[in-house]
Amino acid sequence: MNEIAIYINNLHKKYDEIVYAVQGIDLSIRKGEFYGLLGPNGAGKSTTINAITSLVKPTEGNIKVFDRDIVSDFRYTRSKIGISPQEISNDWFFPVEQLLYFQAGFYGITRKDAKERIDFILNKVGLYDHKDKKMRQLSGGMKRRLQIARALAHDPDILILDEPTAGVDVALRHDLWNFLQELHKEGKTILLTTHYIDEAELLCERVGIINSGKLVAEDTVSNLKELTNKSKLEDVFLELTGRELND
Amino acid sequence: MIKNWIGFYTLSSREILRFFTVWKQTIIPGIVTTLLYIFVFGVALEDRISEIDGVSYKMYILPGLLMMNVITNAVANTASSMLQMKLLQTLPELLITPLSSLELSLSFIIGGTIRGFVNGILILFICMMAGMKIQDPISTIFIIFIVSWSFSSLGLFIGQMSDSWDQLALIQNFVLTPLSFLGGIFYSVQMLPEWGLAVSKINPVFYTINSLRYATLGVSDAPFVSSMVFIVLFSLLLTTLAVKTMESGKKIRF
Repeated sequence: MNEIAIYINNLHKKYDEIVYAVQGIDLSIRKGEFYGLLGPNGAGKSTTINAITSLVKPTEGNIKVFDRDIVSDFRYTRSKIGISPQEISNDWFFPVEQLLYFQAGFYGITRKDAKERIDFILNKVGLYDHKDKKMRQLSGGMKRRLQIARALAHDPDILILDEPTAGVDVALRHDLWNFLQELHKEGKTILLTTHYIDEAELLCERVGIINSGKLVAEDTVSNLKELTNKSKLEDVFLELTGRELND
Repeated sequence: MIKNWIGFYTLSSREILRFFTVWKQTIIPGIVTTLLYIFVFGVALEDRISEIDGVSYKMYILPGLLMMNVITNAVANTASSMLQMKLLQTLPELLITPLSSLELSLSFIIGGTIRGFVNGILILFICMMAGMKIQDPISTIFIIFIVSWSFSSLGLFIGQMSDSWDQLALIQNFVLTPLSFLGGIFYSVQMLPEWGLAVSKINPVFYTINSLRYATLGVSDAPFVSSMVFIVLFSLLLTTLAVKTMESGKKIRF
């Protein structure tokens, strides 16, 4: 349980030589941990996540996944991570099932080896009956579930979810919560960003609050409440960020 | 060096399947356009234009038409695939997979090459039905392939550097189409004034058309061997440009 899954050291990211999106973030997420990264819009959550997946090149600092550098050992580190991005991607050309086979293939898994897992995931996210549909035929909630299914196609040890329940109805949100808890019990390390503070309170073992590119607090939900003398995580969040939600 | 062979094969297959799924947009237009060119320029004007280098006008323009079709399709495939992925947000999901920049680049280039090649071979059949007798089939196939590869690489570079469909159209309309037309599709560059001849000789499309014209009809405005050397070096240059641009992450990683 003490093995570090994601290690971020002194992460800085400056865009256009002017704006610092992230300023000196240090973060360690343990293997098997359910970790929530919270912050207002523009706080630096997505930049941090994209730096872990190497979509963003850090201006300074380094990142390791299971003790391997994400640049020099990119094949290993990327194969350990599955990500469901904030923006829903739209691949118009292929049906749902084919998209999952492609996804597994990119990670070096043959069609034959991927079949059982893809059937399992399609069932889990409730898309098995829609596997022959193309993305434009799916509802918003189905597209979101497909994003998660794609993140899981290669059975990664680490799952990064960037606002996975945005735009999802209440019933589906609860289904997704149950599913994420199942994945956590299976031993997956989960890094979640969300604007729904109740979601983080329910799911996460530890929470980091990020504001203006800096990690302003990090602890278990109960410790954060105790430290700030608040009864709800949402109040802790507002106290530490000093901002209204979803500005 | 390629290490993730399954990933490489998967992305190459995806790129090939992508254009086959929309064959009405990617295969048919080239054939229709070429048939129109053959009719308008070849049939309607043939009686008014005498032979060039001992070849009938209709036959003379066929290799150029074929090459223009190959170039247009090869560039369009990689450029549109890359730009579409950027605009539809599917590219980030690909960039975070354990595929190296070389593997990504070559997979895209293969997709574009196959589209250019398939279109080229289909036009070649049309040319043969129109009466063209191929002098050197192996060189003909090789030239169609290597030109597809070159311009597929160029398309990948253009797609990565473009931010919108407008930018892409700008390059296609104001760079590639003029280069194709000025490369001697419809005429021999020997008909041009001195300056026109000099300009043609720095146009890479001129060498692609003339090498194919020599391989199919046995006539050319440029020596065959030097044209072949040029298009092979041109191919290596464009492949390097595409791979290095992908490695740099310019406009796709931030």
